[in-house]
Amino acid sequence: MVSAAVLHLWVLAWLASVLAAEDDYHLVIAPQSPVVQIGSNLTAICMINNTTEVTADDLYWKLSEIIPKEHYIKINSSALNVTVTIRSEKSEWLFCSCKTESHYVVLNRGKFTHGIWLRKGYRPEKPKNLSCIAVQESETISSNIKCQWEAVGHQTEAVPTNYTLFIRQTGDKIYTASILGPVNKTTVDLNLFPHHMELEIWVVAQNELGKEESEHLIKLANCFVKTKPPSVAVISEAVFPTSLVMSWNSSIDKRYLETIYEIRFCPLGSQKWFYVPLADTSRYIQSFRLQNLQPDTVYVTQVRCKYNNNNKHCGYWSDWSSNVTERTPEDLPKSKPDVWIITSEEGLNKRQIEFICKDPEFSNGRIRRFNITIEKQKDSIRNGTWEIIPVNRSLTDGSSSKKQITPLKTITLDDEESVTVYVTAINSVGASPQAKLIISRKTREPPAVEKTEVQSHNGQLFLSWKPPNRTVSEYVVEWVSDGERNWQRENGKKNYTAIKGDLKQFVQYRISVYPIYGKLVGKPVLERAYFEQGVPSQGPIVNLSGDPGCYTAKLEWDEIPLIKRRGFITNYTIYYRSGTETRGITVPANTTSYTLTSLSRNTKYDIWIKASTIRGSVNGSNHSFTTLKYAPGEIEGIVVGVSLGFLFVVLMTMLLCFCKKDVIKDNFWPQIPNPGDSTIGNWSPDYPLKAEAPRENCLSGISVLNVDVCDAKCVFEEDKASLPLKKDKYLSEEHSSGIGGSSCMSSPRQSVSDSDEGGDMADTTASTIQYSSVVASSGYKGQNPSSLPQQSIFSRSESTQPLLDCEENHDTMVQEGSRQCFLRQPCFTHNAGNENATDSNDFNPLEMKQQEVLDFCPLEEDTEHTAPADCQSDDWIPAPVSSYMPQLGGYRPQ
Amino acid sequence: MNGHVKNMHFQQFMETAATLLSLLLLMTVDSTKTVALSTNQQCGTLLQQTLKITRIVHKESGDLIKTYKAAQGEMSELFCKVSVNDIPDPNISGLDPPARIASIYTHLQAFLPHFKRVYKQQTDLQSPGSPLLKELTRVWGRTESLASFMNTFYQSLFPNLPIPEPAGGPTTLPPAQNVFQQKVYGCVVLKTYKDFMSNVSKELRILKSKVCMKRTPINAF
Repeated sequence: MVSAAVLHLWVLAWLASVLAAEDDYHLVIAPQSPVVQIGSNLTAICMINNTTEVTADDLYWKLSEIIPKEHYIKINSSALNVTVTIRSEKSEWLFCSCKTESHYVVLNRGKFTHGIWLRKGYRPEKPKNLSCIAVQESETISSNIKCQWEAVGHQTEAVPTNYTLFIRQTGDKIYTASILGPVNKTTVDLNLFPHHMELEIWVVAQNELGKEESEHLIKLANCFVKTKPPSVAVISEAVFPTSLVMSWNSSIDKRYLETIYEIRFCPLGSQKWFYVPLADTSRYIQSFRLQNLQPDTVYVTQVRCKYNNNNKHCGYWSDWSSNVTERTPEDLPKSKPDVWIITSEEGLNKRQIEFICKDPEFSNGRIRRFNITIEKQKDSIRNGTWEIIPVNRSLTDGSSSKKQITPLKTITLDDEESVTVYVTAINSVGASPQAKLIISRKTREPPAVEKTEVQSHNGQLFLSWKPPNRTVSEYVVEWVSDGERNWQRENGKKNYTAIKGDLKQFVQYRISVYPIYGKLVGKPVLERAYFEQGVPSQGPIVNLSGDPGCYTAKLEWDEIPLIKRRGFITNYTIYYRSGTETRGITVPANTTSYTLTSLSRNTKYDIWIKASTIRGSVNGSNHSFTTLKYAPGEIEGIVVGVSLGFLFVVLMTMLLCFCKKDVIKDNFWPQIPNPGDSTIGNWSPDYPLKAEAPRENCLSGISVLNVDVCDAKCVFEEDKASLPLKKDKYLSEEHSSGIGGSSCMSSPRQSVSDSDEGGDMADTTASTIQYSSVVASSGYKGQNPSSLPQQSIFSRSESTQPLLDCEENHDTMVQEGSRQCFLRQPCFTHNAGNENATDSNDFNPLEMKQQEVLDFCPLEEDTEHTAPADCQSDDWIPAPVSSYMPQLGGYRPQ
Repeated sequence: MNGHVKNMHFQQFMETAATLLSLLLLMTVDSTKTVALSTNQQCGTLLQQTLKITRIVHKESGDLIKTYKAAQGEMSELFCKVSVNDIPDPNISGLDPPARIASIYTHLQAFLPHFKRVYKQQTDLQSPGSPLLKELTRVWGRTESLASFMNTFYQSLFPNLPIPEPAGGPTTLPPAQNVFQQKVYGCVVLKTYKDFMSNVSKELRILKSKVCMKRTPINAF
């Protein structure tokens, strides 16, 4: 209660001072622009000043939104208190306003609102995990001490935390470094590093809301030092093949800093360090002897140092020194050489056995040579002669982690022979223990293991097997790939092992397990395996086997070379594509050929083969081919078939002709009646009989055609219009007709038909008429030769019989007398070329008469042209001349 | 009878008092031993630290002379053989350990103005980044620290004895000198200081056995 009263008094006193300074404002808030702690309660008072317009009841508070009245406390009629909990981190305004809407308030709204800016922040928390370090520069320790700590808690931009690092040195000399904001490290310069003096270090976090101090680090200054690593030298002594002497120089003078050391070493190439116990090196020493090392082995050594504070944990270890390597001196080989065999068939009942050898596991030096002796089983006593196999190997080869394999000797052995081989390895110091191996008769080889299985797991290749029934002393697991061979020995009680060699990915290994019975080599069992399979690096190359057919094509491909296979092929997929359509066929991995069927003929196909492993697949190269359009022999078949068909038709035709020769003869070569036998011949008194000598190719029959002259005239009229278009055709037809007309053997029907088509006569009757024969409509004119020319009736005969002379004469007479034109067909030719045509008058019936042959001249164009001239009759429009000579009155007027 | 009884009571009282007194004495002796043990440990630690710092300063002063001679050019070996007045005596004075420790402290204080003057002279003679100036600064600063530490050591060892300031007031410095004189002066100061530090090292080793072992009775009684 007392404190509350004091607070009110203080606030009122403060308000009084504020109000005096701010007469213009009617509302004033206290406190002004406070820094508030997030999560705490803020109490503010709004005071009404110099006005009676409003009272405390008219006031309201607003933060981000209007504060509910439950948070208000009315002090008196002119003062209103509010208490709010600060929650958000963002700084904001706290307003006190008036809700009265009187004229004065409205006009002086600014005087009835007052706000304060709330800066929000967190109280600093105690920094944790303060640590400092001073590093070595050149030969002394840097005077700069770098310290860092864990800044606990939050801070805001409005209320940042200032960190001040204090370092107090013996003698109460204090160094400080300050840093502002959310950082957690800084550096203090001590001008001189105070070796052997005590330092007290702490950090103070401070902001407007408070101050916190970290734990004080009180340590000797050297406890903050991290020195440089020492410089190390290593020497070997020949008399101590299992030790190396290390010596080093401290990087800093002992008077500044007395250091302890830690040593580690490992054989070259090993990833595992061996550490010398700290108890042996936790003092100021400058040399150390490493013991129990392997002879003739290169060791890598490192040393690091730290301030020695009487074995109290203090200070920082330096970095490890750079690697220093040294080889231990050689010693006698302590183990046997690892002798092994490579067996291959050599002719009938013979084996070739090559003895190979690896250096002893503990060769303790570079093996200079191997001594070998081979004893045949039938010899009961060893002959004792040792063959020396020198080893020419460089020093670097020996340092390799992989044991070198030395071929010792190759022998040829009968299948019924057995031998025992003894091998020793010699280095510069001496000989190793003796290794022994027995090669038994082939027919009596000890049994093999069973049920071998290889699987890759966790980056290793594991091989398991079922032991044979006999007791096995050890197993030899051999793996071969690309000419590289290696083996390892396993205890006879094991039934699985991980292959310890440096296996390569994507390489196929042939792994064999040999049981060894005593020293007797048993039968091997072979497995193939990949340490890790991959996608083949090359696809199979596909080719066609022979030529493609119409619908089939046989494909062949070679197996992918082993080195590029990179895994077991699970299957091949044959793809073939024509156009945009691609089809695939999957075939087993042991397939190297396949015949594609259901292809289309005369189609280009692209083919390729995809080889797949469990890891993926790869496409081989493309090959293109085109299927045949015709299968072999198909063309020949067609030709033969057609030929046979043709032959058959011909034969049939001939047969038909032969069988029906009479019918054909009657149709094509009808019997021509002998004019001499004709009674009409008697009716032509003007004609001598001799002139009626029968012609061989005469008309066989006569039909009569009544031609309406007017019709012909109309036809002429119509055809004139279409003449230009049809002229050529008519010309050609006229030629044709001429040909037809030139010989009785030609087909007159054809000629007439053509003419009919061109002339569009549409007189079917006329079109079937071959020749026009003139028959006097009024009986035989010869009986009335003096009569006037009269209208004659023309009839046409299909006979090809040549006209008689009398007919010709009569024709002449008609031309002279009646001037009637008889047209077999219309004549449309009016071209200029015909202007010079021979006039129909050129037609000399006398000459024809003299020839006594009624020659059926082909109607030349000239002739055609003459036709109109001949047809100058008043009642006859010039008409085209028939292709045939107009056959005027068949008989001369009597 | 009464007299006998009184005697008996008195005798009983005396026995009890003697027992209590013995017990009290025993406790007092035991606590004294504990205090003496802890005080001895603190003495040894402080002395050991002082000795280590002294060795550093001795080492650095030796390095400084080498650097100084290298920086002065020819005949630098001769500079240090010349005697110069007003240089603090490298020998430690005093008869008892407090006096000798105080002597060490006052000598250290006395050397500081000389370092300052040598530094100023060499600043004119050397380039700004000269190793000599750097080492000189280091030895100068180390001397200040050693003096401060010696003060602390003295006060911890002899809390009731005020540490004396250099006798005769402020250290007197020689008058203005030419370059040769400056070189000679600097070398003599550094050489003297190195000798002094050598003496301090020896003295502290002696004090280690004398002070820290003998202080127990001094402080205890």
